[in-house]
Amino acid sequence: MTDPRVTGAVRYAQDVELEGMLEARILRSPFPHARIERVDTSAVPAGIVVLTPGDVADLGMYGAQIKDQTVLACDRARFAGDPVAAVAAATLREADEALALIDVDYEELDSVFDPVEACGQDAPLVHDRHNVSENDAAYFGIRPQQGTNVCHRFRLRQGDVEAGFAEADVVVEETFRTAGAQHAHMEPHASVAQWENGRLEVWTGTQTPFNLRSDLAGVLGIAEDRIRIVCPPMGGAFGAKTFVRLEAIVACLARKAGRPVRAILERNEEWLTLNRHPAEIRVRLGARADGTLLAKEVECWADTGAYADCGPGVAQKMGFAAPGPYRIPHVSVESRCVYTNLPPNGAFRGYGQMQTVWASERAMDILAERLGADPLELRLQNLLQEGDRYATGEELHDVRFAECLETAADAIGWRESRQGKGLCVLMKGMQTPSRAGIAIEASDDGTYTLRCATAEMGQGARRAISLLAAELLEVDVANVRFPDPDTDLVPYDTRTTSSRSTYIMGRALVDAVRDLKENGRRGYGEVEIPGGLDPDTGQGVASHHWHQGAGAAEVRVDEETGKVEVVRLHASVYAGRVVNRPGAELQNEGSMIMGLGTTLFEAVDIADGQVTNANLSDYEIPSFMDVPVALTHDLLERDGADVHGLGETALPPVPPSVGNALASLGLHVTDLPISAEAVLDAVDRRAGLREVPA
Amino acid sequence: MFESAPEWLAPETLTEALALKAEYGEEATIVAGGTFLAILLNQRFLAPQRFLSLRAVPELRGIEANGELRLGAMETHRAVERAPVVLEGWPGLARTFALVASARVRNQATVGGVLADADYASDPPAMLTALEARALVRSRDGEREIPLEELITGHYETSLRGDELIVGVHVPREGRSTYRKFRSRSHEDRPCVGVAAALRGGSLRVVVGAVASRPQWFPEICGLADGEELDAALGSEIAERYAQAVDPLADVRGSADYRRRVIRVEVRRALEDLVQAEAA
Repeated sequence: MTDPRVTGAVRYAQDVELEGMLEARILRSPFPHARIERVDTSAVPAGIVVLTPGDVADLGMYGAQIKDQTVLACDRARFAGDPVAAVAAATLREADEALALIDVDYEELDSVFDPVEACGQDAPLVHDRHNVSENDAAYFGIRPQQGTNVCHRFRLRQGDVEAGFAEADVVVEETFRTAGAQHAHMEPHASVAQWENGRLEVWTGTQTPFNLRSDLAGVLGIAEDRIRIVCPPMGGAFGAKTFVRLEAIVACLARKAGRPVRAILERNEEWLTLNRHPAEIRVRLGARADGTLLAKEVECWADTGAYADCGPGVAQKMGFAAPGPYRIPHVSVESRCVYTNLPPNGAFRGYGQMQTVWASERAMDILAERLGADPLELRLQNLLQEGDRYATGEELHDVRFAECLETAADAIGWRESRQGKGLCVLMKGMQTPSRAGIAIEASDDGTYTLRCATAEMGQGARRAISLLAAELLEVDVANVRFPDPDTDLVPYDTRTTSSRSTYIMGRALVDAVRDLKENGRRGYGEVEIPGGLDPDTGQGVASHHWHQGAGAAEVRVDEETGKVEVVRLHASVYAGRVVNRPGAELQNEGSMIMGLGTTLFEAVDIADGQVTNANLSDYEIPSFMDVPVALTHDLLERDGADVHGLGETALPPVPPSVGNALASLGLHVTDLPISAEAVLDAVDRRAGLREVPA
Repeated sequence: MFESAPEWLAPETLTEALALKAEYGEEATIVAGGTFLAILLNQRFLAPQRFLSLRAVPELRGIEANGELRLGAMETHRAVERAPVVLEGWPGLARTFALVASARVRNQATVGGVLADADYASDPPAMLTALEARALVRSRDGEREIPLEELITGHYETSLRGDELIVGVHVPREGRSTYRKFRSRSHEDRPCVGVAAALRGGSLRVVVGAVASRPQWFPEICGLADGEELDAALGSEIAERYAQAVDPLADVRGSADYRRRVIRVEVRRALEDLVQAEAA
C-alpha cells in the first residue's frame, strides 16, 4: 500500500479549491493591549473585500468554555497578534498589499504577562466579565471569578491537609514553572468557507467539528443545521486544531464577498493562534520518616493568554491530576485559569498533565532525597492499588501503575545503578463525560462505509477504527471505507481529543456492527460516558478510565557547559489491548520525542508581550539527531482488558524523568525547558560556588 | 496600486554577471543557494524589486587544489564536505561544512553565500578565518583578494563594494586544525559558540564564531603560543584570555555570561584537540 501522505495524494484543507475562491489575510494588533479607536480602510482599492470590527460587532460571541471572543477584536485588542481586520482578494499578493493600506488607530492600555501577577489586586483586567459558554465543550462546572483575571477556579479537597502536614516528619516545598510551547504541526491552520443558499459550508483542519459548528451557529445567529463542517485529514494537530480558529473570520469574509474564501496561516502566525499554557505550580508534600505520604498541597496558575479557549479545562485537569497516582490521605489543590495579554493558549498533547506531572514527580524525588530513600521504592510504597479510591473519591480499576513503573525502571537498569537516572509515574485523565456515535453502511459490492466524526491528524485513528471494524465485520480492512468526517453525514461525537477515539469509538462500533447484523444495511452505535467533578471540592468521577504510564531516562552531562545528553529514554504505557501495533508504537515514540523538546528546548519567548521566536529557527524542536539511540517503550497489555487510549501518555513522563536523572547527580532544576545554562547554574549551586536562584 | 513582479536576472557568464552587478549594485539582490534569502523573503523582511541569480555562471563553480585550495563561490556546502580533494588535504574544513544545519540545507547553501551574508551564527567563516583563507573578489574593474578577517566587518556587513562579487575562496594548505561547534539546544541548531583553531608553520590562530557580530580573532593572544609548546597550562591561559577579550552577545542560544563561560571551555578543548591531533 502506498501511503498517500508520502505520494502527496492527501488533500488537506489548504488544498481545497473552489470556483471563484478568494484568498484571505489577517491584520493583527501590534500592541498587547490597546483600545481600537478607528479602523480606516478607505485606501483599500475597490474589488478587495475587507472585514472590519464594524462588520462583526453585532454578531454573537464565541468560546469553547468562556464566551469571550468576537470574530475580530472590536473594542480592544487583547494580545499582540489579535485579529483586528481581514481582507480577501483574488491573490495572496493582493491581499497582503491591501492589508498594508488599512490604517488603525490604537490607544495603548496597561497589560499583564504573568499569570501570578495577573491574579494581583492591581492587575489590568483582560476581560470585564466572564460569561460561561453554552457550547458543550463547557462540560463541567466553570467557576469564573468576576472582577479578576481568573476565568476558572478548580478546587480539590480530601481530608485535612494541615493536619496531615502536622503529622509529617518531612515536608518539602518547591515552586516549578513550565514554558509555553507551540505545537509546530507541519500543516498550518487552513480553512475554506462558502455560503450556498444561506447555508454555510466550511472545510477546515479541525479535531472538533461539532463544537466548531455550535460556536459558529452562535456567532452567525443561525441554526446548527444551516452549517456543514467537513474535516479533511490534518498534517498534525496535537491539540492546536480545536474549536474556532480561522473559521469565523473566513465565514464572515465569504458572506461579505459572496464568494468562497480560503485562509492559510503563515508559519509565524501559528505562535499568535494557539500555544500551550505556561504554568507556575507550587507543591508542598509531607511524609512520615518511613516514606508514607501524608499530605499534599498544590497550587496552579495556568496562563491562558487573552482568550480562555479550553483553558478552564486545562486548569481543571492540571488540578485533578496533581495528587498523582499515590495514596495520600490529605490533599488540597487549587488550580486557576488566568487571563494575560499573551496569545491564547489551549489544548496541547498532554493537556495540563505535563505541567503538574513535572512539578509532582520532581517533588517526589526531592522528598526521596530528604528521606534518603530510593525514588523507585518510595513510589512503589505509595502507589494506588486495585480498588483504591483516588483523591476525587472515585474507585480505580485495572490499576497497573506498579507494572508501568517497574518495567520503566528495568529498561534503564535502575537496580544496577541510579547515577544519572530518573523515573516518573503518572495518571492522565480522559475526557469525562463524553459521547460518541458511529454508523456503518453496507454496500452491494461488499464494502462498508463508516460514518464517523473522528478526525485523522496523523495519529492513525482512521486506521485503528477501520481495523476494529474489519475485525468485527469479519472482512478485510480494504473493504472498510472511512470518508472525511462531514457534520451533514456523521453522528455526533464529543471531539477527537484526549486520547479517547479508539477507546470510545471502538465501543460504539461494537454496537453499530451488532445493529448492522440485525438490520442488514445500516447499523448505528452510541456510547455515552457519565461522570464529572464538583469544581469546588474536586469530588466525583474525573476520568472514566485513567491513562497509566511511567518514564525513565538516563542522562550524560557536560558539567563544564551544562549540556545534557539523554542517552536512554523509556516509556511504559498501559494499552489494555493494542489495536494497531505500528500506530501505537509511533504514538509512544512521537510522544517521547515531543516530550524531549518540552524538556530541553522549547519555549515561546516573550518580550514586552511580543513573541520573539515565532519561527522554526529560533524556536527549536528536536531533530532526529537529538533522539537517544536507546529510545524504547512498552505497550502493556492484559488478557480481556479494554482498549486504553495512548496518544499522549508517553509525553508527560519525559520532563520529570530527565529532571530526576539530573537530580541524581545533585543537579536540581525546577523550570522547563532545562537549558544548558540552567544546568550550569545547578552545577554551581551544587558546588556552593555562588548563590544562583533555582 | 500593485507593484509589478520582481525582475529576475540570470546571467550565464561572469562578465555578464559583473556588468549587471555594476549596473544595479544594491538594487539587485544576489541569489546564490537561497537558504537565507528565502527565509527573509518568506518573513517579508525583504521585498526586492530585482534578483540577480548566479546559478548559471560557470566561472563560479569548481573545487580544485593546486598547492592552495580554490572553492568556487557557487559550490554548495555539501559539495565541499564531500569533495575528495578537500577531504584529503583540508579535512578540518570539510568537517566544518558538514556540521552546518542539515543535509537539505547543505545541498543548497553556497560558499559565497555564507560569506557574503556575514551572519554571525554561521560556522564556516570562523574556520576559514583560522585557516587564513582569502576571498577572491571581482568587479568589472578587476580582481582583488580580501583576507577573511577583513571580509566580514559586522552583522550582515562585509567590506565588499557595491559592484563586487565573491567569485571564490583560496585556502592555504591546511596544517593541523579543529572546529568545535557547541550547540546549547538541538543538534540541528546553529552554534552557541563555534571555535576554530589552526596551527600552521608554528603559528596558532584561534577564531571564535557565533559570539559577536563577526568572527573573533585576537592575534596578540594567539602570539602567546609562538615558539612555545601548547601544553595544558598555555591552552588554559589562551582560553581564559579569549573569554575575557570577547564581548559576547546574547540570543536564544545563551546569555552573554553563559557564552563567556563556554568560550573558556571550548577554546581550551579546541587547543587540546590540536595537541591530540599532533600526537596521533
